Amino acid sequence: MKNKVFKNIFIAFVFLFLYLPIIILVLYSFNSSKMNIIFEHFTLDWYKNLFDNRELLMAFFNTMLIAITSTVISTVVGVIGAVGLKKYNFPFKNLINNLLYIPIVIPEIVLGISLLSIYTLMKLELGLFTIILSHIAFSIPFVVVSVRSTLNDRLKTYEEAAHDLGASNFKTFFKITLPQIKPGAVSGAILAFTLSLDDVVISYFTAGPGSNTLPLKIYSIIKTGITPDVNALTTLMLLVTIIVLTTTAFIQGRKIMEAAK
Amino acid sequence: MKKVIVLMIVIFLLSGCSSGSSYKGVVNVLNWTSYIPDNVIKDFEDEYNIKVNYGTYSSNEELLAKISSSKEGTYDVIFPSDYMVELLISKGLLQKIDKNKLSNSVNVDRTFLNQTYDMSNDYSLPFLSTIVVMAVNRNHLKDNISSYNDLLNEKYKNNIVLIDDQRIIIGMALLAKGYDMNDTNIYHLDEAKEWLLDLKDNVKAYDSDSPKTFFITEEADIGIMWHAEAEIAKEENPNIEIIYPSEGHAISTDNYTIVKGAKNINNAYLFINYLMRKEVALKITEEYPYISPLKITQKSKVSVDHVFSKGFYVKNIGLDIKNYDKLWADIK
Amino acid sequence: MKKNNLFKFICLTPVIVYAILLILLPLVYILFLSFCESDSYGGIIYHFTLSNYFTIFDITYVKIFLKSSLIALSSTFLCILISYPFSIFLRDKSEKTRNLMIKLVMVPFLTNSLIRTYGWIVLLRKTGIINSALINLNIIDHPLNLMYNNLGIVIGMTYTLLPFMILPVSSAVFKIDQSLIEAARDLGAGPISIFRKIIVPETISGVFNGSLMVFIPAIGYFFIADILGGGKAMIIGNLIKNQFLTARNWPLGSAISIFLIIVTFGLVQIYKKLGGKLDDLGGM
Repeated sequence: MKNKVFKNIFIAFVFLFLYLPIIILVLYSFNSSKMNIIFEHFTLDWYKNLFDNRELLMAFFNTMLIAITSTVISTVVGVIGAVGLKKYNFPFKNLINNLLYIPIVIPEIVLGISLLSIYTLMKLELGLFTIILSHIAFSIPFVVVSVRSTLNDRLKTYEEAAHDLGASNFKTFFKITLPQIKPGAVSGAILAFTLSLDDVVISYFTAGPGSNTLPLKIYSIIKTGITPDVNALTTLMLLVTIIVLTTTAFIQGRKIMEAAK
Repeated sequence: MKKVIVLMIVIFLLSGCSSGSSYKGVVNVLNWTSYIPDNVIKDFEDEYNIKVNYGTYSSNEELLAKISSSKEGTYDVIFPSDYMVELLISKGLLQKIDKNKLSNSVNVDRTFLNQTYDMSNDYSLPFLSTIVVMAVNRNHLKDNISSYNDLLNEKYKNNIVLIDDQRIIIGMALLAKGYDMNDTNIYHLDEAKEWLLDLKDNVKAYDSDSPKTFFITEEADIGIMWHAEAEIAKEENPNIEIIYPSEGHAISTDNYTIVKGAKNINNAYLFINYLMRKEVALKITEEYPYISPLKITQKSKVSVDHVFSKGFYVKNIGLDIKNYDKLWADIK
Repeated sequence: MKKNNLFKFICLTPVIVYAILLILLPLVYILFLSFCESDSYGGIIYHFTLSNYFTIFDITYVKIFLKSSLIALSSTFLCILISYPFSIFLRDKSEKTRNLMIKLVMVPFLTNSLIRTYGWIVLLRKTGIINSALINLNIIDHPLNLMYNNLGIVIGMTYTLLPFMILPVSSAVFKIDQSLIEAARDLGAGPISIFRKIIVPETISGVFNGSLMVFIPAIGYFFIADILGGGKAMIIGNLIKNQFLTARNWPLGSAISIFLIIVTFGLVQIYKKLGGKLDDLGGM
């Protein structure tokens, strides 16, 4: 019995460690003091102020634009790429396969500076475009890996059957393959989206004028002390993510229940 | 997926509308972090109907990296410090300034003009100046501190915050040792390194963006920082005393310059001329108490005479920078 | 047949173009840069030299590598120390609770990592929440130095990278066959020997997977070293960043990066030897 209590206390401590900074962040978004040092009294002013802070909103807007664009592109390329790489043989296939692991394993900073170097070499203007390109660069491999885990032998049999019945490659892809690999594609896309939303290192090297992202904006003000309107914005973002996550979990749960009937 | 694509298109359209219809022009500005208050920028945008694309950097080297690695025409106005002005001129990255287009340049105090980094101000005009000072929290420390060498006292263990700038800090060590702030003699640099290693245990942190925060939260009691930062800290915490080190100090003057190949030259002149208005300078120095080179009532309490009589500019030292860089890695 | 080729073309072209343009080319280019010289103001002189590689073995830089590795290793070790008991204790729960708990581990990581790091400043500083609490409880007289030192960096890295350890370790621990453990228990094995003889061997590749995903970012996350280390300790990430943005010595920065890539590949080889699959590295 004692043993069990100890185990639960340990688990609780791990969660305390994980959530403490978040609790602080949410708490201080309701604090009337500007300094994030002592808690004065409750206020909702920062949530109102948020909508007057143009630079912060612009950074938020850029971040969303980058995350959505890079997620869509890397999901499409990653999904069809994973299918193609599984299905077909071609010269240097091994090389391409191995190249895809590189962004996953090497330190982000190395990818960041090498992309910066190549953009400079090609005289590409640093800005939203280069950030999107860079986010695509680190997202595709995660999508490919995630999709690949759902490409199994059973799927291959289905595809062959569809083929034998006269379905074209495209038809097979949309009717058979895509529905099967959907979970992998979705989790790959979610991963790409979260990685993009939170990226500091790679954006730091590949951003230009007028392309400040939320993480970069926060990085530039973090030492001066973050004003509570930033806390308010992240609290709202957190709230939205939690709502999305719980509703999808709920819908999935209901589907499973219905299927069980 | 369809919804995502639709959402994306909507966002694209919205962004097109917001930037396309309301402004008649843009100016691409790259400036130091926390330097011009937001409302000053906004007033300019409203008055001239020109959008300011505002990017920031936290060191001259970062600025240089951004300028030299980006395509020509990416930036219009930048605010390099003295030695960086000289370097940017020598690399051909700046264009000459036509003072006829800057009617407010008559407001500039002549003491700030014709400095060594741009002898006849062909490429630059001073924007704001500041000097390095020591700040001491008198609530906790009563000792007599007047020289950089006083910082070596073992009592101050883990109690000093320094600007995160290799030229300024190595320059401070050279001044403490009685050498020139821009000395490149390797034996002198070795002595400077020893001095900094002696200091190391006393250093709480290096911070270039906001050493003042350390004072406000009473995290450290002594700081080597820019005068303007020290004054802001003093406003929050009146126990802070500002001390001018006996060996002298580094001066830093940031300048208006226009980048070569700038696409929005006229807007750039409008922006600079706007910032050179006395009332705008007052607004800026009210929020950030730097020394304005304009003939206005300074908020900063340091006298212009003191700035130049004991002050030294950081100078370009060519390839010797590699020795400085290595020294910096050694002491960190 | 022609249609077949079209499908193949559409599937493969984007991913191949991507792999060549955005992975291979940049890496080949920094490999090339690492053999160039730099002039004093950030320019690159296209003249072959090995001097950048000699420079990184200079004692100054070797010290930074060692310090940075030590910080990363400590963080990795702390992550293992938290993840193992956490996963083993969770094993006893029902599958539903387990899944929920693992999801809850992920939720904080959907908020901005810098904001969370900032939360640690509020907690750790001299006048921060932890110190104030300890002083008010009369546990300590003087505030502890919890940040602006290496300890602060290790706390920040451990916090930021913990889920990358918990996920592979817990999934490995959950997979262990319960009958194996029960059989060992019947034969009189205590918890320690069960851990040593069964749990460790069964989960070693998961642990190494997690260690890779913690150690490698931990040598590069310069922003954590900046914010929680007070700019005092340079880690390899700061060193590379400085070469590219402040010291204006791209060739040296490239050489350090190439060196890092080689170290990374070495670690991945060990991981593969331990029976790890490359695909598991990216799976979250």
